[in-house]
Amino acid sequence: MKHFKTLALAGAVAAMGVGPVLAQEIYAPNLSYRTGPFAATGIPLMNGQKDYIEMLNARDGGIGGVAINFDECETGYSTEKGVECYERTKERAVVTQPWSTGITLQVLPKTNVDQIPILAPGYGFSPMSDGKTFQWAFNPPASYWDGMSMILQEISGGDLSSLAGKKIAHLHLDHPYGKEPLPLLEAMGEAHGFEVLPIPVGISEMQNQSAQWLQIRRERPDYVIMWGWGAMNAGAITEAVKTRYPMDQFIGVWWSGHSDDLQLVGEDGKGYRAISWSLPNPDAPVMADIRTHVFDKGKSLAGEEELNEVFYGRGVIISAILAEGIRVAQEMHGTGEISAAHLRDGLANLNFSAERIDELGLTGMMAPFSTNCADHTGHSGGWMIEWDGSAFVQASDLLSADRAAIEPLEAEKAAEYAAANAPWPMNEACEAM
Amino acid sequence: MLYRTSGQFKTTYRADQALFPIRQDAFLLGVILLFAWVILPFTASEFAFQTLLIPVLIYALAATGLNILTGYAGQLSLGTGAFMGVGAYACYKMITIFPEMNLLLAVLMSGFFSAGVGVMFGLPSLRIKGFYLAIATLAAQFFLIWLFEKWAWLYNYNASGAIQVPNVDIFGIAVAGPLASSQTQYYFVLIVVTLLTILTINLTRGSLGRSWKAVRDMDIAAELIGINLLKAKLMAFAVSSYIVGVSGALFVFLWRGAAEPNLFDIELSFRVLFIAIIGGLGSILGNYLGAILIVALPVILNTVPGVIGLEIKSATVEHINVMIVGALIVFFLIVEPHGLARLWALIREKLIIWPFPH
Repeated sequence: MKHFKTLALAGAVAAMGVGPVLAQEIYAPNLSYRTGPFAATGIPLMNGQKDYIEMLNARDGGIGGVAINFDECETGYSTEKGVECYERTKERAVVTQPWSTGITLQVLPKTNVDQIPILAPGYGFSPMSDGKTFQWAFNPPASYWDGMSMILQEISGGDLSSLAGKKIAHLHLDHPYGKEPLPLLEAMGEAHGFEVLPIPVGISEMQNQSAQWLQIRRERPDYVIMWGWGAMNAGAITEAVKTRYPMDQFIGVWWSGHSDDLQLVGEDGKGYRAISWSLPNPDAPVMADIRTHVFDKGKSLAGEEELNEVFYGRGVIISAILAEGIRVAQEMHGTGEISAAHLRDGLANLNFSAERIDELGLTGMMAPFSTNCADHTGHSGGWMIEWDGSAFVQASDLLSADRAAIEPLEAEKAAEYAAANAPWPMNEACEAM
Repeated sequence: MLYRTSGQFKTTYRADQALFPIRQDAFLLGVILLFAWVILPFTASEFAFQTLLIPVLIYALAATGLNILTGYAGQLSLGTGAFMGVGAYACYKMITIFPEMNLLLAVLMSGFFSAGVGVMFGLPSLRIKGFYLAIATLAAQFFLIWLFEKWAWLYNYNASGAIQVPNVDIFGIAVAGPLASSQTQYYFVLIVVTLLTILTINLTRGSLGRSWKAVRDMDIAAELIGINLLKAKLMAFAVSSYIVGVSGALFVFLWRGAAEPNLFDIELSFRVLFIAIIGGLGSILGNYLGAILIVALPVILNTVPGVIGLEIKSATVEHINVMIVGALIVFFLIVEPHGLARLWALIREKLIIWPFPH
């Protein structure tokens, strides 16, 4: 019982201490994971996110003159810790950045009740794109289904019917995240006559995938598409090298394009590609600003090499999306210190035009996109990045997803979700566009 | 002084065999129950409900289930997480097939499914003991997780392979799903946990409990004095898995709201086992103390730096937290290898004879 008393006391003290500061800041927590089995992939992303916001605070004094309190709550990628963090931050937070498909799934049903927008850039539940159903969830600039569609277009040379009769293996983490693109891949396979071979990798066997690669060797798929994360990426790439699977037929999603994983095999990994909605550009003005205001002052947790990595740049873009959402919300509502509901309006009215991207100094790091109340993703498209033996380089023009093929499936799954969670409020005021 | 027993005379055997023969014990329990039933629900914040009160109760219940098997009947089990999963999936299937069903009924019934599975995996216990039995239950752990992943019917063919709790109400009050308030959920959990704890205390004090203890201490001797080993061991597996299954249903429906198969992985089994061991094998109170130490303490420790105004990075806090909790576990097990419940028993004994040392 003593614990609860101390906690109550602690709460009172915290409330008193935090009170006055609240008036001049926007509290934007991040459910980070710098510990645990996925820390290696998490750290550069979290560093990019944090450094961008710190740069804004140092350069412009925040956004619209209001400082951003970018607080990290450590989850270690565990859903249990994630929910703890969500409960801890939700009182004051204007946004939830769950950073795991598992945590997103837990928090998603609560959004209508707690009314805090979820920002899950490039992850989470693909049908979240349907803003009419998921009023509080945003996954700009591209969903997993967009990613899968882009990969299929790249390997088919733009015409999916050329894949007829081929066999495509989907090597994925056996987790909600890895299974996410399967419905689309299977639907496409049926429509265009190619065979889909799902190969799950359990969390406990991430580092030892000999069984999975034995299966790949036996089945000889024409392409292997990977939805991997953390230690699974490195495991798969080393196995692929060992079994001499042709690297130019091996394509990953954006979370499988981490430089560190490829560094292990170096030259042998040459030709491996991943789809990505972000490109690292060390010459972009924003990177120079981060260097002057954050990195050179020793405020960054990142190392020198990390700044040029794909994942660091992606973290920067994620924070830029959040910052732009805050700025739009401030303009729409004429107030500096916005609330969670204001931020939802901001995130639903993002307009990353080519000019705006240059204005923000993100030149060459992302593709233009815009969101509206019915489309919470924006579908910016992405590029193939290819491992040249020492770094990832851009290997294609901007690809865009075949939205006509994805939309019916999205609408179907969103409706299913709403029905399973009835009563689920819909945003009827919003016309599908 | 506080625990002076002089003047408390027992005039009947019944009074002497009561659950709490010492008045102060009953008083202390009364205070705790008052806190649990009246004071906390009206003063706790949303955060306290979701990260301290509800999880502590659910984990304590799971540990109680395991304690029956391991602490009372002496059968080591590493399959607790999977049995919790059986309860959770059974409850999910019942609620989605019969949406009108009362959730309390569904939760209590879901225990029977895991009891059935538990008995099946308990059969080897008649031939093998100790670590070998632990390996057999480990097989249950791996097999069941595999089943949760592969049998799509269990999660209603959901694309992401996860189960999600729908909105459920009892007599118009939302008890599970996103619309339910934390207070309602807490009371629901508290009712189930109280009910099963009373049941367990009585079971372990009765003839069944005595036969379990006899089997635990020496099964050949138990057999010689006429205890049916088959019945005693399988009953232990059934009762234990029943409670574990109910706690699994509560775990997903009244707390998490969603679950993927990995949630019930071996880490969960170990977590519950640690609660039971650190709390004290063969005690009911220990499960609650263990759950407070393992589940609630890290959450409280996480808030400490913020409260005293220390600027420490969240990841560092997490590392420090793991170290402190680890050190505490080592400390408590060195001070009292029989767990926190035994530690409390010693303190209580000292208090009763205070100020004399003997």
